[in-house]
Amino acid sequence: MKCDEAQELITALVDKQVSDQERSSIESHLKDCQRCQFIYRQEQALKREIGAAGARLHAPAELRSKILSDRRFFPGLGRSSGSWTKRILPAWPFPRPALALALAVVLILPILYFMRTPSEPISLAAVEIQRKIIGGEISVRKTSNPDELRKWQIRAVNGEFTPMEYDLSSMNIQPVGGVVQEVNGRKMLVTVYAGNGLSVTCFTFLGTEEDAPKIASVFIDPEKKMKFYSFSKDGWNAVLHREGSIICIVVSNMSGDELLAMVRAKVQPS
Amino acid sequence: MTRALTRDEFSREAIGYIDHLYRVAVHLVKETQEAEDLVQETYARALGSYEQFAAGSNLKAWLTRILYNFFFDNYHQKKRWVSVESNSSKDTESAYWEKVPADNPGPESHLLLKELSTKISDALRKIPEEFRLPITLVDMGDFSYAEAAEILSCPIGTVRSRLSRGRRLLFNQLKEYVATEEKKRAKR
Repeated sequence: MKCDEAQELITALVDKQVSDQERSSIESHLKDCQRCQFIYRQEQALKREIGAAGARLHAPAELRSKILSDRRFFPGLGRSSGSWTKRILPAWPFPRPALALALAVVLILPILYFMRTPSEPISLAAVEIQRKIIGGEISVRKTSNPDELRKWQIRAVNGEFTPMEYDLSSMNIQPVGGVVQEVNGRKMLVTVYAGNGLSVTCFTFLGTEEDAPKIASVFIDPEKKMKFYSFSKDGWNAVLHREGSIICIVVSNMSGDELLAMVRAKVQPS
Repeated sequence: MTRALTRDEFSREAIGYIDHLYRVAVHLVKETQEAEDLVQETYARALGSYEQFAAGSNLKAWLTRILYNFFFDNYHQKKRWVSVESNSSKDTESAYWEKVPADNPGPESHLLLKELSTKISDALRKIPEEFRLPITLVDMGDFSYAEAAEILSCPIGTVRSRLSRGRRLLFNQLKEYVATEEKKRAKR
């Protein structure tokens, strides 16, 4: 085989898209040709760097929000609660909006009152805890030694599970303290991170994806094969995900999109 | 048989590919705003015809094909897969081969690539579209040759040959960048 003829096969070998016959023929050429060996290694390196350059490119948060908030495209994912009427009353029989509104108030509000959740879901309680931590109503155990904090938290749940941790040092965000809280009889390990004007708090507890609030938008990451539940409460944004039997909720003052992107980037499939 | 996706399920899966679609779009059109419009339109079209998507098949490829077809119908001036045999890119490509040393030049080329990785996206935009698209789909989108060929409506062999030549053109672009930078440094 001449070097000129080998070039396309080198490309296909780099991409692992060669037939058995092609593989044996190109590998035999590479064994004897230093120049083509060099081209092969160079093309492998180039492919790797192109992939890395692509991985750094993300859709702008505004574009994501624009698509998600357009109810023509994503009626079930938007944060607006406007679509619930369609589910409850698929065929609205009233042509007059004022009459419809009056009837809705009389008939539906009492139903909603009786249907309301008796106690706050654990995920929304996490946001409330975050608000109290920042407001100073809950005091955290401050630490400059994350390992020591982690050991203390694991002891507090008798070693049943461990707090989920994130390396946010590239964003100048460090763990600064932690606390253990109990909500509806379930223990939560709370780790507080801060830096760069941002507050990020990670709540770890045993649970299922049912612990995500009903208001959450669900995002499926097809590559990691994981679901992320994004929700907001009282100006705080939160993202919940599950790793095995452990639920982690990250609550932050970052924008919802930034927070979701950060959590998605940091977690590994269990 | 795989159950058909509901509209909600389809939407949720589809939004997971937004980064991928954006990556392809920014290498198809010149302006960022155009790329955003392209992605938005892709979702509008995909959701409008989601019932045609065969459950269990490759959603990422399906969405990419919608994006590419929309780009082709609305942004493209030339005919699909123009012949590149007679254009100047062939000369640029030959120049690359002459520069490759006959003996093993050591690892510096790999270091050069590492250093240049931030410039790759810019360099990619400078090479002709017929080479750029297979690189974007295969190297950034992780598509197989068969999938890329289906998206681009061309034979698999065409994907392979254009990838091969495209990567060499890209490498040339990156080398030119280094030469310009060196000249700039020398003048300082």
